[in-house]
Amino acid sequence: MSYNFKKIQVVPSSTDFVDIVLSKTQRKTPTVIHKGYAISRIRNFYIRKCKFSQQTFHDKLSQILADFPQLDDVHPFYGDLMNVLYDRDHYKLALGQINAARQQVDNIAKDYLRLLKYGDSLYRCKQLKRACLGRMCTLMARLKDTLAYLEQVRQHLARLPSIDPNTRTLLITGYPNVGKSSFMNKVTRADVEVQPYAFTTKSLFVGHMDYRYLRWQVIDSPGILDHPLEDRNTIEMQSITALAHLRCCVLFFIDVSEDCGYTLAQQVALFHSIRPLFTNKPVVLVLSKLDLMRYEQLSDEGKAQIQTCLDTGATMVEASTLTEEGVMDVKQTACDKLLAMRVENKLRNKKAEDITSRLHLAMPTKRDDVIRMPIRPEGEIVPYDPKDPNRVLLAKDYERMGGGAGVYNVDLRADYLLKNPEWKYDAIPEIWDGKNIIDFVDPDIEEKLLALEREEEALEAAGFYDEDEEIEDEELTAKRELAAQIRAKKDVLKQRNHIKAMSRRNKAPMPRTKTAVSATEFISTMRELGLDITDVNGGERTSRRERSKRMRDGEEGGSDAEMAVDTDGPAGGPAKRSRSMVRSESRARSLSMPREPSAMGLRDSRQVLLAANQISQSQRRLKTDGRRGEADRHIPTNMPRHMFSGKRKQGTNDRR
Amino acid sequence: MPVRAQFENSNDIGVFARLTNAYCLVGIGASENFYSVFQAELGNSIPLVRTTIADTRIVGRMTVGNRHGLLLPNSTTDQEMQHIRNSLPDSVQITRLEERLSALGNVIACNDYVALVHPDIDRETEEIIIDTLKVEVFRQTVAGEVLVGAYCVLNNNGGLVHPNTSIEDQDELASLLQVPLLAGTVNRGSAVLGGGLIVNDWASFAGAITTPSESAVIDSVFQFQDSGHTSAVNDAWVRDSLIDSMN
Repeated sequence: MSYNFKKIQVVPSSTDFVDIVLSKTQRKTPTVIHKGYAISRIRNFYIRKCKFSQQTFHDKLSQILADFPQLDDVHPFYGDLMNVLYDRDHYKLALGQINAARQQVDNIAKDYLRLLKYGDSLYRCKQLKRACLGRMCTLMARLKDTLAYLEQVRQHLARLPSIDPNTRTLLITGYPNVGKSSFMNKVTRADVEVQPYAFTTKSLFVGHMDYRYLRWQVIDSPGILDHPLEDRNTIEMQSITALAHLRCCVLFFIDVSEDCGYTLAQQVALFHSIRPLFTNKPVVLVLSKLDLMRYEQLSDEGKAQIQTCLDTGATMVEASTLTEEGVMDVKQTACDKLLAMRVENKLRNKKAEDITSRLHLAMPTKRDDVIRMPIRPEGEIVPYDPKDPNRVLLAKDYERMGGGAGVYNVDLRADYLLKNPEWKYDAIPEIWDGKNIIDFVDPDIEEKLLALEREEEALEAAGFYDEDEEIEDEELTAKRELAAQIRAKKDVLKQRNHIKAMSRRNKAPMPRTKTAVSATEFISTMRELGLDITDVNGGERTSRRERSKRMRDGEEGGSDAEMAVDTDGPAGGPAKRSRSMVRSESRARSLSMPREPSAMGLRDSRQVLLAANQISQSQRRLKTDGRRGEADRHIPTNMPRHMFSGKRKQGTNDRR
Repeated sequence: MPVRAQFENSNDIGVFARLTNAYCLVGIGASENFYSVFQAELGNSIPLVRTTIADTRIVGRMTVGNRHGLLLPNSTTDQEMQHIRNSLPDSVQITRLEERLSALGNVIACNDYVALVHPDIDRETEEIIIDTLKVEVFRQTVAGEVLVGAYCVLNNNGGLVHPNTSIEDQDELASLLQVPLLAGTVNRGSAVLGGGLIVNDWASFAGAITTPSESAVIDSVFQFQDSGHTSAVNDAWVRDSLIDSMN
């Protein structure tokens, strides 16, 4: 898990906070209200305002609470660092106050919403709203110091170095002025400030370096003095925090030349006093300023003092950041020690099995005598050197010369490997004679064709295609003729339908009952279908007899034969049209009776009754309720107010 | 060290190029930068072909091939096929497969001698692979994954397989493929090796965020380091770094 405190949103000051919320309320809620409005509307208007401000306050305060890290949740290193820098109590108190304020805002809003429900005029409602927002703002004003503190914390947190507490870390520590920061500058590119006075480095600095295919984090800490923990100042405490919580390799710097202003004895004493923090950590004792004094030049007393440090398990390395002698030794010793320890720890825990499978080089067992040699590139590959003025130009160089990406167009055909380079740009049709060219592109196509032809000839010779002449019996012939007839008929029908469809293009589609079919046409059609109908009920004469009469009589119902033919004739059933027997033929036309409009489209009187019944059933409810329906006459407002009041573009209305 | 590259801000470069010992297919991008990476590294040793497959740039995932041949999915258009045919030497046989699993780069992993294929691949396809690529074909999974092309990268010197492959599986695969195998990752711990890594027998390309320890493994298993044939995992120097960088 990595820590990023840079994403915390800005904490506004209390006055800004109030401004932000109130103006947002003003912007996002309706603003126009009249005392003439219904009281419920007025109440809702103000309730909405109160509720909205409360919600905005609530969201903003929650945002702060969510953004700031909880000291108990972060890595103990960051927890303690924040304790050192911002004071744990103060920090927790501030967040607690924000939380309390959030609840208070909610409670205020709850109270006033309850009151607003009883507001009986616009004025009272407005006063309640004012009181509600006013109390919320007062609350915020009381948070002035808290918000200011949190904003400072935020700014400081965002500037903290992003130290990953779990990665490979070298931690540089020691007395002030012993050369910690200059070492840091030598091994990383952190560019820490180096000055010849104590406490130049006032906070933790982080740098990175690469070694053994890995990335290492180097932390430069402020110098520490040898005194009890209670007396340490904030600057020193940062070093102590880092020492206490980071699983790192400690580089303890000792200036044997005593150029830093502290005696060797003092420095060794410091080593021993903070030694409890070195448990379970590899320690490297760096004797800095090698150019001023070497270990060999030390007095026996000094050597003995250093030996006391080495007895604790530390490794001693000498270095000089001035001459750079030994700097790499320090780095390598420290990194190797730390890495060895980390690897040992890792292999000891549970995930070791996953790791071992990844450290296994699976060698093949020989299964046959085939030799599988790697391929060597033909010719020597000249290593590309971008700085060489005579280098081969790459595609991107040509691209740049040709106007850059998006403008330059690559010639995809330039590298074609063809027998004759002139063929490169030949236009090759994709389709030829309705055939897809690529289907025929095959180097062996001729041979394959020949093979196929030969096979065909062989089959022919073997008599594979010889047909046995079958004698068709009569039945089959008849069937064939019939099929031919059907096919021909189908064609005709198809064409006729087509013509019909074309001629009908701009006409409304007519129902089947309205399409006129002449009797002759009908008869011929029926004849084609194999039904002879001329001979029934006095032959074709009947057909010209009459237009149908719509009889209200149920039994007579369906005499809707537009084509006016007695179709029941050929079926030989009993004649339905008894009316034709009763009435004289000549009176038929005059007796044609139009239907009542309400009965249009209904089959018989029974159905008419049924329909009427259904209508009354469905309307019963409407009638008893006496509701307004769409059929009722309605006069909308003939002078809508919004169109006739207020100022006009040309002059004013007399109302104002 | 493998050359680190990106295709238009994507580190999955194996998706956009197919490299073999006889040719290299590169997807057509918006600029020439990706193509130039190959040009600079490979020089004129093999033909480099810019192409699309089925109008897409993901040529690395759609195609598979080796020194002897190239397999294209059935969605390859005739024009693309003709373009590739014209650009490659005649010694490379090109075949368009009627295979349901059309991302051939994902379902087939091969070098010049052997190939691992997806267990569900057609029997007919398998025969075409044998004929075209002149390889022995084994239906296998890698660490339980059927997409062998995505989770396994091979050349004639060695191969890298999915990091979760068990030791027994690694040994079995190594014996089938007849090359040494290692389990590894690319692109800062990505298991999709086919996506992040492109190799042939003398060049290798990896996604731009590949870590140095991953690069060391890649180098050692594909044997680009001439300093003897010590494997990264047997060299204590690299081994420790490797263990520490695993998570």
